[in-house]
Amino acid sequence: MSAVKIFTPPVKLAKQLRTPGGLPVAEAVQRAGAGLAGLKKECLGELTAVLEQAEACAARAGADYDAALAGELYDIVAKPIGVPSVCGLAAVDTALISLSDLLDYLKGQERWDANAVTVHLRAFRLLLHTEGSADAAGTQAILAGLRKVSQRYAKPE
Amino acid sequence: MGLNPESRARFNLERTSVLVLDESPMGMSILVQILTGFGVKTLHRCEKVDEAKDVIAKVEVDLVVCDAMGASGEGYDFVSWLRTSKIEPNCYVPVLLTSGHTPSHAVQKARDCGAHFIMAKPLTPIAVLERIIWIAREGRRFVECDTYVGPDRRFKNDGVPAGMTGRRRDDLQGDIGDAQSPNMDQDVIDSLMKTRRVEL
Repeated sequence: MSAVKIFTPPVKLAKQLRTPGGLPVAEAVQRAGAGLAGLKKECLGELTAVLEQAEACAARAGADYDAALAGELYDIVAKPIGVPSVCGLAAVDTALISLSDLLDYLKGQERWDANAVTVHLRAFRLLLHTEGSADAAGTQAILAGLRKVSQRYAKPE
Repeated sequence: MGLNPESRARFNLERTSVLVLDESPMGMSILVQILTGFGVKTLHRCEKVDEAKDVIAKVEVDLVVCDAMGASGEGYDFVSWLRTSKIEPNCYVPVLLTSGHTPSHAVQKARDCGAHFIMAKPLTPIAVLERIIWIAREGRRFVECDTYVGPDRRFKNDGVPAGMTGRRRDDLQGDIGDAQSPNMDQDVIDSLMKTRRVEL
């Protein structure tokens, strides 16, 4: 067993937080939220580009598992997670997480399921380009469906 | 935790130097908007790990916010490098790691890279602020051994794992045996807690 050194390093951040001045929590959160709202248009443009890239990538897939393609698609859809919520499209984030889970499971099992991928990309398009996110019950039903599809490939506990 | 977003409590990040590492321009913009909203004035923005390593070598930073950077997990590798770099005091700097999706093969890497906290995206300003304040106030101990360098990963102390010898000074050794006498009566316990006037 290796020797362990345990110690408490000084954390300057704690002192800085207590320095007089600064901002009230409410104002800081409001300022950060306003800054994020300013990114909305840019984020929507980015998501549209991601969707097109993902669809083009998935269209190249054959019937059999292709490790490079699965990896490429994973990178495309996992990277923008967090961006949709900035535009108030939290449902798109959930769909992207479900698709990333699915691709991760498929990569782990070296399998391919074109239908499962397609249904996720269609949901992505629907939630992004329609007012799907305004219909809470409909959106929840779509997301629950996606979850079921991706969890089919989850390893048994 | 549970920071109230309506709270009037003040905090100050004006003098805090923050390194932000995110390869995605949109992810970077989101983090920058959140941090500048909190009043951070000194931001070192890095899109590549090499840029971040340069900053760490040249400038003292007070906080690192770093993305896991996709399936390759370059962000985790950067944090591991930082912890073992011996560049003081930066090697002890609080690190908040963000991740959109953690592939199953990277879970152990994420746990063992030496970050103070891993936040799953999407990020909200209140959640980020809550974690920054928590990291700063918690003052977690650092652990250095052959296989790990970073803040203590134990969030609660359940004792030494069964069948192992504790490696910490405050680890209790030995098994806890069965009770040798009946539990104390509740009245006796209450009387021990009872407030009494004392003459000084």
